[in-house]
Amino acid sequence: MAKTQAARTRSAKRPAPSLSAPLLPIHALIEAEQKAFIETRDDVKRAGYFCAYTPPELLNAAGLRHARLFKAGTPEIVAEGERFTQSVFCDFSKSCIGGFDQTAGDPFYRAVDKVYNFHTCASMKRASEVIEQFVPTTLLNLPRNRGDAASRAFFREEIVHFRDDVAALAGRPITEDDVHEQILLFNKARRLLKKFSELRKRPYPPLSGKDFLELVRGYYYLPPQTLLAAYEKLYRKLSRVPDDGERPVRLMVSGSIMADGDRRLVELIEDEIGARVVVEDHCTGLKPFTHTVRETGDPFQALADGYLDQAPCARMKPLDDSVNLTGGLAQEYDVEGVVYVYLKFCACYGVTKLEFISHLQQLGIPVLEISSDYSSSDHGQLRTRVEAFIEVLTERRGDRVGDTVAAD
Amino acid sequence: MKISDIVERVPWPFAPPGPVIGFDIGSRGSKGVLLTADEILTTFIPTGLYMQETADDLLARLLKQTGLRRRDIGFIVGTGYGRISLKYKDIPYQVVTEITCHAMGAHALNPRTRTIIDIGGQDSKAIKVDPATGKVVEFVMNDKCAAGTGRFLEKAAVLLGLELDELGGVALEATEPAPISSQCVVFAESEMVSLRARGERSGDQATRANIAAGIHFASARRVKTLLGRVGIEPDLVFTGGVANNVGMWHALEELIGAKFTRSPIDMIYAGALGAAVHAGKYHAAALQVGTAKPKVVAAVGSGRGKPASRTRSRDPRPAALVRIG
Repeated sequence: MAKTQAARTRSAKRPAPSLSAPLLPIHALIEAEQKAFIETRDDVKRAGYFCAYTPPELLNAAGLRHARLFKAGTPEIVAEGERFTQSVFCDFSKSCIGGFDQTAGDPFYRAVDKVYNFHTCASMKRASEVIEQFVPTTLLNLPRNRGDAASRAFFREEIVHFRDDVAALAGRPITEDDVHEQILLFNKARRLLKKFSELRKRPYPPLSGKDFLELVRGYYYLPPQTLLAAYEKLYRKLSRVPDDGERPVRLMVSGSIMADGDRRLVELIEDEIGARVVVEDHCTGLKPFTHTVRETGDPFQALADGYLDQAPCARMKPLDDSVNLTGGLAQEYDVEGVVYVYLKFCACYGVTKLEFISHLQQLGIPVLEISSDYSSSDHGQLRTRVEAFIEVLTERRGDRVGDTVAAD
Repeated sequence: MKISDIVERVPWPFAPPGPVIGFDIGSRGSKGVLLTADEILTTFIPTGLYMQETADDLLARLLKQTGLRRRDIGFIVGTGYGRISLKYKDIPYQVVTEITCHAMGAHALNPRTRTIIDIGGQDSKAIKVDPATGKVVEFVMNDKCAAGTGRFLEKAAVLLGLELDELGGVALEATEPAPISSQCVVFAESEMVSLRARGERSGDQATRANIAAGIHFASARRVKTLLGRVGIEPDLVFTGGVANNVGMWHALEELIGAKFTRSPIDMIYAGALGAAVHAGKYHAAALQVGTAKPKVVAAVGSGRGKPASRTRSRDPRPAALVRIG
């Protein structure tokens, strides 16, 4: 019975996203890794985590199979999750819970031996408390005031707790040297991801927004050695693509998490309308790759500092850091407009939207605001909004180019 | 009807070089506007199951009204919910969103238009327009929810045993609009049921009028929120099918404390008119480059569209929306 259910869940999985051809081998690599995560019979424990503030360095140092659990649930999974929450929780938190459901859930989530979560928002904290019923879970603390010395000392302690917990799960110690080695490895991956993103600064980017999201997906599912081997090859290939196409309308996607599988907005923008996402500031896009971790000194303090210094989530203080980062990226990548999208009921990005939107508008960048969930019943409305936004941007571009031509 | 009878400025700067058509295929009703150099014709039918058939029906009706032939039509622009389904082998065409089209439609009739409220079957929108060009400056659209849309009013009319076109008039007879607070159609419906149950007699006229008014105010509050986000600058124009509802007109004017500017035609046609004006611009552009019947490739909405070719940037029209080649 359970087997039939699982088989059905797998077969009902979304079709592969429409990626550029050079990305397809990466996609295949990720699919194979996920299959192995579920099906390989061995003694290696599986660790899962939700949040980009979790250092995978420690999970990898322990020799665990590990992955970020950030899938957008099917309507069934979201409904399962909602049994444990109020309706006013975001679809991501519901997906995290529903994924562990014994019958309707996701086989990938059910393969996990232990879940780690950092307390970011109340919804995700509650989600990990619920998940504890299904699978052992450790909830760790993440200080808000990222600049304070006390926060850094405290967060170092949390990182050490995390190390101890992971070592117990793996049944082997994790030394400072192990951690140091992993910091070097993950920094390499982060730098590479950032370089990929920078290819999108070209007038005719050799990779789409969807392609970049796929690379980020790989970062959270693939072991770093596998990743580096495949990505370095791909980078050489993409960097040689000639930059001579027509300049597409350049957009930034800003806001809350864009889960694995939550591709309808980007597909609408890129496949249906023909504009390009050239940068995104969310924690499943470029955000985790704008910084690296210090490679010298106490590795636990380095992790604590590195993760607090990374591009901040909107739940961190001061919010200005987040807002300025968004505006800075929009300018750095020369975007013509920003689509600010947040999950309905998101207590981090929904309630801070005006700070982000007005900052961007002050910089002279038009913004389209969209609240989203994992249903698909509003495709027509979403399309009208995005298409009208692109019409407005194209008209602005016409005016600007027209002015230049007139001045000749 | 003669264009010179409805517009202030003659010659009208939006007159097309030859016959062109705008279709607005909405979620509930479909509208067609045919523009010639001096005339405007309109037609309306309920949207059918197949959008293309609906558009074909509209086209046949417009041609019959004018005595023009299919090959006389220089350009078609489709807008509205069903715009992406439109295809023509023999007539150059393009799709443009209803947001851009309502702005242009209202602007073409009244160049002082700065703010538009458009309420249709399933959407309501607030649009800020540049009075110099008719271009969209900013827009806000309702969330996926029927509150504050025509669908909500349709539902309310059924519950009150009224035809949709009677609902607004009945609401104006209210002495004390019923307090309907729900922002959600489903909950508003149950509020209506309980209000109806409290009426002294079944079918009591005054109760019905008060409930009808309450419904309009509940919808109008929703729309006011949208307006609050783009701001209200006169001239304020009401477009879309619900613009024909006097009850909604009254409720909105009272809530926002501003008057709508009256339009010379039924503003259910604003989107189709805007589409026809865009069609005229595309047609003129095509004539200018010397191909009267160019093959047109949809850029926006074609699935693998590419934006503006820089070589066409001198063209003051929305060049990016059309590629001629």
